[in-house]
Amino acid sequence: MSQAGTKKGAVSKINKNVAINSLIVFVVLLLAWVAGFASRLFAVIRFESIIHEFDPWFNYRATAYMVKHGFYNFLNWFDERAWYPLGRIVGGTVYPGLMLTSGSIHYILHLLHINVHIRDICVFLAPIFSGLTAISTYFLTKELWSTGAGLFAACFIAIVPGYISRSVAGSYDNEGIAIFALQFTYFLWIKSVKTGSVFWAVAASLSYFYMVSAWGGYVFIINLIPLHVFVLLLMGRFSNRLFTSYTTFYILGLVMSMQIPFVGFQPIRTSEHMAAAGVFALLFAVAVLKYLQSMLSKSEFKSLVIFGGLIAAAVVFVTVVLLTYAGYIAPWSGRFYSLWDTGYAKIHIPIIASVSEHQPTTWFSFFFDLHVLIPTFPAGLWYCIKNVNDERVFVILYALSAVYFAGVMVRLMLTLTPVVCMLSGVAFSVILELFVKDEDSNSHPDTENDETSHGGKRLYDKAGKVPKIIKHESKEQDAIGPNLRSIAAVVFVLLLMLFAVHCTWVTSNAYSSPSIVLASYGSDGTRQILDDFREAYFWLSQNTADDARVMSWWDYGYQIAGMANRTTLVDNNTWNNSHIALVGKAMSSNESAAYEIMTALDVDYVLVIFGGVIGYSGDDINKFLWMVRIAEGEHPKDIKESDYFTEHGEFRVDAEGSPTLLNCLMYKLSYYKFGELKLDYRTASGYDRTRNAVIGNKDIQLTYLEEAYTTEHWLVRIYRVKKPDEFNRPRIPVANRVIKSTFVSKKNSKRKKGVIKNKPVIVKGKKPAVKTQ
Amino acid sequence: MIKFLFLLVITLFSSVRSQGNTLVLLDNQVIKETHSLFFKSLQDRGYSLTYKIADDASLILSKYGEYLYENLIIFAPSVVEFGGNLNVDTITQFIDNGGNVLIAGSESTGDVLRELASEVGFEVDEEGAFVIDHLNFDVSDEGQHTKLLVSSENLIDAPVIVGTKKDVAPLLYQGTGILADSENPLVLPLLTADSTAYSYQPDQPIKEYPHAVGKDTVLIAGLQARNNARVVFSGSLSFFSDEFFTSSIENAQNGVKSPKSGNEDVATAISQWVFKEHGRLRVKSVNHHKASEKQPPHDYTIMDDVVYTIGIEIYDNGKWKPFTANDVQLEFVRIDPFVRMTLQSNPKGVYEAQFKIPDVYGVYQFKVDYDRVGFTRLYSITQVSVRPLEHTQYERFIDCAYPYYAGAFSMMLGVFVFSIVFLHMKDDEKKTKGE
Repeated sequence: MSQAGTKKGAVSKINKNVAINSLIVFVVLLLAWVAGFASRLFAVIRFESIIHEFDPWFNYRATAYMVKHGFYNFLNWFDERAWYPLGRIVGGTVYPGLMLTSGSIHYILHLLHINVHIRDICVFLAPIFSGLTAISTYFLTKELWSTGAGLFAACFIAIVPGYISRSVAGSYDNEGIAIFALQFTYFLWIKSVKTGSVFWAVAASLSYFYMVSAWGGYVFIINLIPLHVFVLLLMGRFSNRLFTSYTTFYILGLVMSMQIPFVGFQPIRTSEHMAAAGVFALLFAVAVLKYLQSMLSKSEFKSLVIFGGLIAAAVVFVTVVLLTYAGYIAPWSGRFYSLWDTGYAKIHIPIIASVSEHQPTTWFSFFFDLHVLIPTFPAGLWYCIKNVNDERVFVILYALSAVYFAGVMVRLMLTLTPVVCMLSGVAFSVILELFVKDEDSNSHPDTENDETSHGGKRLYDKAGKVPKIIKHESKEQDAIGPNLRSIAAVVFVLLLMLFAVHCTWVTSNAYSSPSIVLASYGSDGTRQILDDFREAYFWLSQNTADDARVMSWWDYGYQIAGMANRTTLVDNNTWNNSHIALVGKAMSSNESAAYEIMTALDVDYVLVIFGGVIGYSGDDINKFLWMVRIAEGEHPKDIKESDYFTEHGEFRVDAEGSPTLLNCLMYKLSYYKFGELKLDYRTASGYDRTRNAVIGNKDIQLTYLEEAYTTEHWLVRIYRVKKPDEFNRPRIPVANRVIKSTFVSKKNSKRKKGVIKNKPVIVKGKKPAVKTQ
Repeated sequence: MIKFLFLLVITLFSSVRSQGNTLVLLDNQVIKETHSLFFKSLQDRGYSLTYKIADDASLILSKYGEYLYENLIIFAPSVVEFGGNLNVDTITQFIDNGGNVLIAGSESTGDVLRELASEVGFEVDEEGAFVIDHLNFDVSDEGQHTKLLVSSENLIDAPVIVGTKKDVAPLLYQGTGILADSENPLVLPLLTADSTAYSYQPDQPIKEYPHAVGKDTVLIAGLQARNNARVVFSGSLSFFSDEFFTSSIENAQNGVKSPKSGNEDVATAISQWVFKEHGRLRVKSVNHHKASEKQPPHDYTIMDDVVYTIGIEIYDNGKWKPFTANDVQLEFVRIDPFVRMTLQSNPKGVYEAQFKIPDVYGVYQFKVDYDRVGFTRLYSITQVSVRPLEHTQYERFIDCAYPYYAGAFSMMLGVFVFSIVFLHMKDDEKKTKGE
């Protein structure tokens, strides 16, 4: 009886523990979700529910199109308003996952008669998905280490600026949902490796399919997972679980990823995907060898491995090389070269280098985006290496590769952030176990006993070897006094608090600007909204013909299409370098050469961004050298970058700037009539606040264009391109005339009579002979 | 009854072909008499002429933003400055807004006309300069060899401007020379001097190289601006005079004779051209559709067969009539022309082309650009977008892929059979074990 009673009591205690634990997990995750969601709302509260930046405008436009016209029309959408006159097959050149996600949310909500505008769904999609990311990070970390680490990781990823930078409300971009898909795929992959079940592998490939449909970064998955398998093979950790999960995942993932029109045949024809296929083959080879090993004697097996391995390697290598030469496998694309050689893009592909998010990362931004996680994450990594098992090999590889890529490109901070959160979670959880948990174990010795007795069942959600470690550590812990323990705990809690403060501060100050509405703060703290972009786009949509073609630098293509609904020549989908180079050439040529290009492209309006009045540094003059470089890449005879520098190699807009620069179209359009503008009493007229210089060419005359609109703060300037028939009759300029005449009109408002030579003049009251004056 | 009469009068007047209002600026009233034949021919053709002296202080071209006249004749060579609101700017604006101008200068062309000429791409030689030709002058010349006889061969080769030049007698010309801007593609030398001519002051020794020599000396220059406004500048006012119209001619050197100069014919033809009685084209209709359909689609798909038709009309005697030519071309342009073909004409003035859209998607333009000397420029652009195939328009089954289909299905079948066999065998084993 008593035995039964204690058993019952133990079970109820365990149940109680489980219940409390799951409640804590649930509450923490819920709070992480809420906190992550709330801290992403700065932009909406300060400004309004608006789509941010550049790419999100295209995503929003595409989503709105899909919601309006249906999925199949979206799939077949040929956008004749983009890339005039080439057009763009949107359905085939877009990752549709984002549009499908928000479209289906919209559909479901409307089924329930909740009439939400699609724009609001788009605005709030990324914050909502940040909660899902937190949850999947929790599951992943839990698989790797423990529940506590998972909760830490979930809380970290919910508020870490490195992820918030891509997922604030209004930042409606692929990354917003892709990080969730990434983490979830990894979780399912780890789960399938652990269990060796086809079910989890299929789930992983489905999640991989979602990732492929959402973001080009799926290539990271399809290289990291094979790398994981490969390293496991090298470590001699081949198992049937691994074989089952990888083969299932790879084949299903391959077939499904090819269903996305934009991806198409890439998975079997490009070098980026070849590693996965190679590992697939290798895994089979290893499996066959393992099988043969059980059949053959040792010496036979050895010679077989050596010869067979050599032959197989040679065959695979030769086939890949041959296929590459035959053109079946595309060589590495430029973006991937630039991952290995940071100088590559600058030399060969200026269009990739010109994007600020493709620049190498500075040390500063590591700390700025990750704060305390950066110093703690190596500790977590160390713990993982120390207690390595199949799934921890994965996270080690994930961490190493992500650190490398994040160092190459600012943009890839995004893939580093989740793994940093996970490993910091591990580190914090270990430390807290070290310093805090011991008290608990002292105060509740029963629990400790229960745990050890039921350790095999892993009720406390610990990965395999953890209990041993704790035991091992708890011996050391005896040396730590209660004072030291509490000091350490306070220090770590303080660190975490500082982290939270930093995250909120960064989010609020750095990542919550919609960048289409600018705000400036006066000395007394009053806020002034500069809404020039929308003003200009609205002007375009109201005052120009429906099929008017607007030329601008590609940064503004999506916004013009999204907000003004006008045809653009180039946009942020930089698929055609030569077309962009043509626009760059027009911008960097003189007016008459530019006019030839503009008439060939049927340009009606030219839009430039000019920040000289308000000191906005992201304007076209500051981007101008990239236009020159891109144009030079395609038209090296006409455009030379060195022409735009002074003799000392400086890029100056003032009177000492190079004459080529002072007479190019972009300069003229930016500074047209700016020479007459006096911003305040202390500075000279024509003083450019962005570049802190008085402009060099104050008297700008335009022949082929005329100013159509300039916004309130001169941020956006729109010019109309005159049509050829407006130059009605080419006159002979005075300087070129053979016969010079000096003709001055003698008419005035009172005397309107003309003059005729040799006209007999009759003057009343005087004799004709008298000469009249 | 009165109403009825009124209506009758209106119908009568409206049946008379009425051309536009025309302002005629003169040096003095005498010119009206000395050029009466020319003015009469204009009036007969329905122009209502308003004569004004060029320095009249009340001169005005437009009122309340609307032009009072469609055409302007300036037969006032010695005007230095126009009276009233007229000056070079208002006249060039008049041209830019589609008005036609006929100007006649003389050896003493005034400054304002020089300015005006430069605005439209000509220059008038210096004051006092005549076109002199010691080999081709009329017997009635007074010794300075300035009253030229210009062969009709020197007329521009465009019947629509100067009429058929075959049977035209030599033309009498006395006046200054014009220099045409060689870089201006719109300027037409309607009448040039013979190769033996030059332009200089006749009573002065030649110290400098003359401004215009030989064929480069343009006697009558024309310009069709890009908005199809037309300007003609003649270096000689007397070219249009009654005296030159009617006098008999005889070349003093080779004795070629004719009872009547060709001036009247050519002057009439030129006035018909400059006031747009001749050589006016317009697009009546543009239509395009797929070969199998009638209506233009929202967008074309690559490799579609497309039919393009354009109706072209010409203005003839006050009516628009079908225009027939065999050299109208169509271009299908996306930055560069992908298709260029001659349109097939039919007597109704409807031109048709049928072609296959290239295998390149994008935004294209059907472009007809018919620019012939003397005719107004015919320029028609129709923008269409050409889209790639939709996902349902590809082949569903490809012949050469049948082995792969067979492979896939046989594989599926094989797995199915294999799993049945496998399960069955396992069952057997168990049974044997159980037994």
